[in-house]
Order: sequence, then structure tokens, then C-alpha cells
Amino acid sequence: MRDSDRKRYLAKVVDDYVRRRISRRRFLSTSAQLGLGAAALGSGMGRPFWGYSPAHADDMLQPSKDVLDWVADVSKPFRGTTLKLATESTPPSNAINSQLKPYFEEASGMKIEIEVLPLEQVLQKLTLDIASQLGTYDLYYIDQSWAAFTSRDVFDPREQLADKPDLAMPEWRVEDFLPALVDGIARYEDRLVGVPYDIPIFIMMYRKDIWEDMGFEAPTTLEQYYEQAKAITDEMGPDMYGATGQMKSGHYSLECDWTAWLWGHGGSIFNSDGKFSGNDERGIEAMEYWTRLYQTMPPGVTGWTWDGQGQSIAQGVAASMMSWGEFFPYFDDPSATKVSGLMEAVRCPAPKRPLRTVSDTGYGEIPGVGHQGGSSLAVSRNSKNPDPAWIFMQWATCHDTQVLITALGGGTGPTRTSVYDDPRIIANNRVGPGTTRHLGVVRETIANDMGSEPDLPEWAELSNDTIPVRLGKYFAGDYGSAKEAMDDIAQAADKVVSG
Amino acid sequence: MTARANRLRWLVSGESAFPWLAPLIAMLVVFTIYPLVYNVWLSFHEYAPFKRRVEPVGLDNWSALLSDDRFWDSISVTFTYFSAMLIVQVVLGMAIALLLDSEQRGFGLLRALLTLTLVIPPAITGMMFLLIEDPEFGVLTWILERVGILDGTNPILATGSTALLGVMLADVWQWTPFMVLIFMAGLRSLPSEPYEAAMLDGATSWQTFRRITLPLMGKVIAVAVLIRGIDLFRIFDYMFVMTSGGPGTSTYTLSLYAWQQTFSFIKWGYGATISLVSLILILIIANLFILVSKVRW
Repeated sequence: MRDSDRKRYLAKVVDDYVRRRISRRRFLSTSAQLGLGAAALGSGMGRPFWGYSPAHADDMLQPSKDVLDWVADVSKPFRGTTLKLATESTPPSNAINSQLKPYFEEASGMKIEIEVLPLEQVLQKLTLDIASQLGTYDLYYIDQSWAAFTSRDVFDPREQLADKPDLAMPEWRVEDFLPALVDGIARYEDRLVGVPYDIPIFIMMYRKDIWEDMGFEAPTTLEQYYEQAKAITDEMGPDMYGATGQMKSGHYSLECDWTAWLWGHGGSIFNSDGKFSGNDERGIEAMEYWTRLYQTMPPGVTGWTWDGQGQSIAQGVAASMMSWGEFFPYFDDPSATKVSGLMEAVRCPAPKRPLRTVSDTGYGEIPGVGHQGGSSLAVSRNSKNPDPAWIFMQWATCHDTQVLITALGGGTGPTRTSVYDDPRIIANNRVGPGTTRHLGVVRETIANDMGSEPDLPEWAELSNDTIPVRLGKYFAGDYGSAKEAMDDIAQAADKVVSG
Repeated sequence: MTARANRLRWLVSGESAFPWLAPLIAMLVVFTIYPLVYNVWLSFHEYAPFKRRVEPVGLDNWSALLSDDRFWDSISVTFTYFSAMLIVQVVLGMAIALLLDSEQRGFGLLRALLTLTLVIPPAITGMMFLLIEDPEFGVLTWILERVGILDGTNPILATGSTALLGVMLADVWQWTPFMVLIFMAGLRSLPSEPYEAAMLDGATSWQTFRRITLPLMGKVIAVAVLIRGIDLFRIFDYMFVMTSGGPGTSTYTLSLYAWQQTFSFIKWGYGATISLVSLILILIIANLFILVSKVRW
């Protein structure tokens, strides 16, 4: 088969699977026969592993067979081991848990138990496991805001590679992970807290049909975005609102929204002295902007986390959101939403003022309108099975698995550079379920707009309670002004940080 | 030696109560006394995250409570919720019990239906009312907007002044039937003679209720209030599901705050201290109530 024919057929197979014309098993077996997972399928980048050789194309019936052979080979001493992971319900975890896990289990002879939980429950399980040192969980799903306090409880993957060369997956390279993600998600001080596992990141998603009807172009500045959202709400409300948000009082999602507006106005959470600076001039300007934008959102927005926010778009209640890009494939699924094919993804509007640099902020905070909520996957130091867990971790984060996750898991943003250029991913660049047509924007956002929260042990408390509880009070009208609210947050945050 | 052996033999024989009580005592020790003692011990310690161990902190946790605004806010919310719910559920429960205390056709079915709400887990009830009060498609929101009580800009559960009321609604729906069932059982056990005498004396319905029913039902009401009151003081599920304590701190109860400190922030000592305060308050209130209402067990 010629390479070009193979690519065309490959695209068709992926398309058929995503449109549910063929079963998962048939998709996987067909794609294996086609040599999926091989870099030389034309991606043009140095595919890290299982280099596909055209000369052996017809013999290489199962490109992913190399992965599974390696798994089978290194797992021999660990057959019968049970590994446990508690994770948030994210596309990678769901894809692994529901579809890919059996392949690993069959090859390795291990059993993988994945508990899929809401984020706050994952935090509880993780912190209890760390505190008790019981090693209930072999692998930790670590939200980027928990990196600081978990850093000493997990293995640095570079050390694992060096210490256990016999267990290292060939060509499983840390360097293939997007550098911005490694720095923003997985690095705390000089340690790597696992490797980037998923990357929900803020991008701008809007109803192209409504934008065209209104004669608008995609917003390029924050002020323009507000004007457009207001015009839509004025024109079409209460049936349609121009913008939406994730603004549930006391919930982490509210803090996420706040940081995007704060960073977008040139502000920062902390200054270089490590003091809360959300109450400075730029912070207040951001709050005033957000308060105005809030008026263009549906009335229920202060009761929603990201779920409600996504639903408000999916059900045709709101026309745009600056939020997690992983919603986009869901919006394109005609069986799940009313807006399939109507949404468009672009980079977030440009910041109103120049962004502060890392040296202007504290605790490694990286300002940027594209708030990232990525997480890493790491092997727990408390695990009784660190070696089998390390094998699983490499498999779960390798190129081939990430491609399948992205294809099967609904177009979530990959964390490896090489995956974005994989032909199976490119093949899904069209309207429909599991679309990847937003991934270009995700990739650009990671490279140019990504904002990362600070890394400090108290951040879990600050981001899950201190800040969002008081922001919730502000939007409930409990403060006289934005300045009063932010001063109160400053006082409380500095108290938490100082212990 | 012989006396000791005899005593031991008597202890394990069927004549002594000990062998029969031993399983219960063991359960009490394991599930009640030990956790309580451990909780008290924990309230004088705190988990040190970077040392990965629990360290003594003396009275720090107790003194921290005094200056913790969130703690006082949660006390205030808990007492407001506790008082309002007790009054509403007792009054409503008694009214419904009086209405249903009839042998007419269909009333038996109504009484049976009342038990249905009690078998639903509170978290599920919370989810139901989350939808009922949803600002976009909630049926209650829709009705209140139609009659002009809500104007569409202030969601019930996301507005400080109404969020607690929204949560209370779920509690009233689920637990008022509990009061109804207890009160009905009480009403059915009342002697008929006082009522016959009142009828002969020409007493009105209100006079009969106030002078006869209420005094005779006093003990039943007291027991219902005690059981429900203790339960209300520990309220957690509805807030956790419906509001997460928000907006701001307007629905943060003591239990929710203790849970957050213990499990979200791993401040085990501080969380234990808040739990103990909750326990102490329940004990004081319950015993005062028992004293005042002269309930005998």
C-alpha cells in the first residue's frame, strides 16, 4: 500500500469510528493493521518510539504491538499486581478507564483500578493518602495547583528513568512533552511532579452563526469581547446571553475565571514579595471588567461550575465562553448538544495591559489569559508497587496511548508535541463528535497565552476556599465594592500564606 | 484465688448480664468511645504536612476558634437553620398530622405515601431541589417568577438572602413527614374521654387543641423535637450538594466547615476541635431541652 493511500484510508477509519459506523474493536484492529502509531506515517516529526519503517509496512501488522510487547516484557515480574489510581473525570482518564485499560491489563497481567471522582474528592483522597502514607493509591493524579504540596511524595520521572533503565520505555522522552506544560504543570522548584497528563486550557469559543448575524468578528481585545457580549444579551436576551461563566461561590472554578480576567488586565495573584496583589490597581480594574461582563451572562451563572457553563452553551442559552478547550469536541457532537457545527474556537482576546513576568509575581505564577488547569500523573512514593506503577504511567502517557486518548477521548488536548501532528489526530479535523479542529488553537494558546497559577503549599486552600468564597460573597452583594472585596481577600490570603 | 475464679466463672455464665452486653459494649468502645477520646486528643494536636506527622499544639486549636470569623459565621448559620427548621417542621408536621388523623377512605394511602420521602438519601433530595430551583429551567423558579416573587436576576441558591431558604425547602420536604408520622402515632394513642368531655362542655376546636391535644402530646412533641433537633444540628448533605456553603459563607454550617478543614485542608486537629464544639453544643441544648420539657426516658 502506498503511503498516501494508507493515510487516506487511515483518515477514513478514524472518521468512521468517530461517527460510530464501526466498533472500537474494529477501529483498533484496523488501525493496528494500518500501522497507526508510527511516526513515519507522514507526520514529519521525529516520532519517539516504534519507528515505522515503510519497508516493513506490510509485515508490521500492529504498530501498537510494540508498545504492548514492551509492556508484556517488562511486566513479567509484576503479573497479578493491582494498581490503583484516583482521578478526576477527564477525557484521558475516561478513555483509559473505559476503553484502553483492557489492552494494558491483557499485556501486563496487572489489574488497574481507576476511581473516577469529582476534583475535590480526588484532592481529599490524595491528601489523606499522603498524610497517612498508607499507599492506597499507586499513582497520583495531580492538579497543577497541588504540585507544591505533593512534590515530595512522588517520584521525579527523570530519576525513575535513570534509576531503572531496564523499566524505561524506549523513546519515552520527557522532552516530547510541551515544554510550557512541563514548566506550568509538572515542575515545582527543581523537581518534576510527574509528567503532564492532560491540559484543559482557556480558549475562546463562540457561536459563529450569532457572531455573523450580529456582524461581528471574533473578539481580539477584552473590551471588544465585552461590547459584543453585551450587544448580544441586549439584542437576544433573555433567550440568549452573550457570555457565560463558571462562577459558583466557594468553588475552584470561580477562582479560575477570576485569574483569566486578572491576568488579562496585567495583574497577578502575588507580587514578587509573595504578597497578594489582586487588590492593586490592575486587580480592581479586572474586577470592574468582570462585574460588567457578568451582567451579560445568564442569571444562573453564579451557581455553576464548569459543568453548568458548558451546558449553557450546549443547550443554546449562551453564545460564547472563554473557558476550557476540552468542551469544544462535546459542543460539536450533534447527539449531545444543540450547537454542533455552530461553534468556533479562537485564541483568547489579547490582554488589556502587558502581562507581568514571572519575576514580577510570586511562587512561580505565570500570568496569561489562557488559564491552564492541567494535571500531571506521577507514581506515589508511598506506593507498595512503584515499579509496576511506573510501567503503567509510561504506557498511559506515551505517544501511542495519547493519540488513542485524543481520538477516543473526544479531542482532548494532548500534552506531547508529537501527538498534535499525528495523522490520526489531523484526520479528525472536521465538524462532529471527537473533533480535533480546535487543537490548533489549543496548541497556540499553550505556546503563547498560557497562564499558570502559583505553586505554594497553601495554594489548594487559597484557590479552593479563601479566594472563591470571598469572590462568591462579592457577586452575592456582600461587599460594598470590588476594592473592599479584594482587600478582604488580600488580608485573608496573606494570613494563610504566613501561617 | 477461689473467689476470683468463681467471680470470673459467674461473669461468663448465663446468670450475669455481661456476656449478653459484651458485644454492645465492644461496639460502643470501638465506634463511639475510642473515636471520641481520639477526637479530644486530636483537638490538642495538628497535622504537620511537611513533617508528615501529628504534633502537639496545646490549646492553639481552641484559641484559634475564638478569632475565626468563618467558625462564628457557621455557628450562626447552624443555629438559624436549626431554629427555623424545628419551628416550621413542628408546626407543619402537627397541622398535617391533625388533617390526616382520620379514618376516611384514602387517608391510609396518604399516610403510607408520607414515608416515601424518608427513604430517599438526603444527597439525592439535594440534587432534586438543585434542579427544582435552577434559575434557567427550575420549576420553582419559574413559578416564583410568574407570581412576581423573583425577578429573574437573583437565582435562589446563588443569592445570599435566599440560599439558606432554598436549602431549607429541601429539608422541609424530606423531613416534615417524619414529624407527621410521629405526631400521628401520638394522636392515635390519646384517650378519648377528655375529648368527649370537651364536646359536652361545648369547647371549640381550637380550645380542644390548645387545652387537651397539645398538653397530652407534650412528651411526643418533645421526643420528636429532640431527635430532629440533633439531626438538624449536624446538617451537611444539602449544603454540600446544593450550595457548597455559598454564596460566600451564607450556608456554611458547622459540619460542613469541620469537614472542609479536616478533609480538604488536612487540618485534622482544627477539624476535630470544630466537631467537638458541635458535640458540646448538641449535648448542652439537648440536655437543657430534656430538663425543661421534663422528658423521661
